[in-house]
Amino acid sequence: MKANEVAKVIKKYVNKVKIVKERRVFATTDKKRCRAALLALKQRGVQHLLTISGVDRGNAITVVYHLDCNPVLLSLKFNLPKGKPNVRTVTDIFPGAILYEREQMEMLGIKVEGHPDPSRLFLPDDWPAEVYPLRKEVKK
Amino acid sequence: MTFIVPIGPQHPALKEPVYFRFETKGEEIVNLDVRLGYVHRGIERAMQERSYLHNIYLSERICGICNVGHTTTYCQAIEQLAGIEVPDRARFIRTILCELERIHSHLLWAGIAAHEIGFDTLFMLFWRDRELVLDLKEMISGNRQMSASNTLGGVRRDVKPEHVPKILRTLDKLEKETKHYINLCISDRTILARCAGVGVLPKSDAKKLCAAGPTARASGVDFDIRRDDPYEAYDEISFDVITRPDGDVFARVVVRLLEILESIKISRQAVKALPKGPLRVKITPKIEPNEAVARVEMPRGELLYYAVSNGTDKPERVRIRTPTYANIPTFGPMFVGGTIAEIPIVVASIDPCIACTDRVALVDSHTDKTRIVSLRELGRRKG
Repeated sequence: MKANEVAKVIKKYVNKVKIVKERRVFATTDKKRCRAALLALKQRGVQHLLTISGVDRGNAITVVYHLDCNPVLLSLKFNLPKGKPNVRTVTDIFPGAILYEREQMEMLGIKVEGHPDPSRLFLPDDWPAEVYPLRKEVKK
Repeated sequence: MTFIVPIGPQHPALKEPVYFRFETKGEEIVNLDVRLGYVHRGIERAMQERSYLHNIYLSERICGICNVGHTTTYCQAIEQLAGIEVPDRARFIRTILCELERIHSHLLWAGIAAHEIGFDTLFMLFWRDRELVLDLKEMISGNRQMSASNTLGGVRRDVKPEHVPKILRTLDKLEKETKHYINLCISDRTILARCAGVGVLPKSDAKKLCAAGPTARASGVDFDIRRDDPYEAYDEISFDVITRPDGDVFARVVVRLLEILESIKISRQAVKALPKGPLRVKITPKIEPNEAVARVEMPRGELLYYAVSNGTDKPERVRIRTPTYANIPTFGPMFVGGTIAEIPIVVASIDPCIACTDRVALVDSHTDKTRIVSLRELGRRKG
């Protein structure tokens, strides 16, 4: 899909679409509509979830899904309040998301609901609970 | 009744620390778990606390083998954040360095794969010829391995006119040798017996599990960032994307060896078409709030950097998704249904770079009994 086609597919589900250049699209949505946007993209043949990023923004955590819409790279993001960072899993839509969601859980403390295997990925077993290394409040 | 075969984190068959827990029924593998985290260094967090310039050196040290790939992707991401264009000559030099790195990495991998199946003579030959590429890298960048050539806004070292004949001569020699190895690999009975039909990753699984690079291409996924999302000088150079439909270890061997020939082709074109001009442009130390995604086709597959700036001289966040990380889930379909004897070559067949994968968090230094990473949900029985 080309950049304007991608923008058209997700238009209903996003607040803002930014076409940065020919093959880079950024879009902002919210938790509720993100899933619908992902499903709409899947229906249009998007199968490749490149990764999921998480950014600690102080009082919120931004979750970014990077999707390969060959050749466009779409970054679909939404904010989660830090007090209640719950989000539904996308492994049912993109099975390749499985490790990325586990990383999100242990590194940023995002609660992924419905994940088939929410165990730790990189951190050791004796790592203290509720300490998330990529959160800003965690000091060295 | 099943039997557990633990392999790792330290094991003669593994080149880097990773822990596998194979559940076997007789010789057959019925399930597996992987545990990562033995070489965690906390690099993503460290990047948030260092300046943009300092981070080039940090990203270079994520992986020794693909250091040019890491710095190229990092610099591209930061250049996009700052909205600057790299001069043409620098784009071509980066392309040459990336391709030389791919040749050396694939030769290194082919040597290790030969060693894993007990063909040590071939291992020596592959590594002998890898030296030719390392000599070229040393000539261009000053270092055999850590090139330290890329910088924000361009490159630090030039390919001088007197280098060009030597580069072309060495590439010719490498081409001849690689063709010889390809003939050898596709006809040698030992290699066929150990690699053909082993560790099969079907195309559907490769797509579903979002596999990357040669691992995906050997399963028939026709996808290469260099062609599909060209960066640096790749849109001005002609080359073929190598795919194979079989998805077994042999297909991964053939894809990588043929990719060496393509890389030689690309390097040759880039060296001949090297435009004149400056090597770098200036970049301001502070970058206004912005976000950018850069991706590069590394020897092992696609590398992705997502960078967010916040107006200071340090990034708000740098997220790194390395190719081996994307390929770890493919171990499920590759191993289940295979035998214990296949383990070393199948592990080697995705060309795993654990140092790349494990860069995310803090240091892990313990041994425990419980397993942490389960790929059970991914491990499908074959047939």
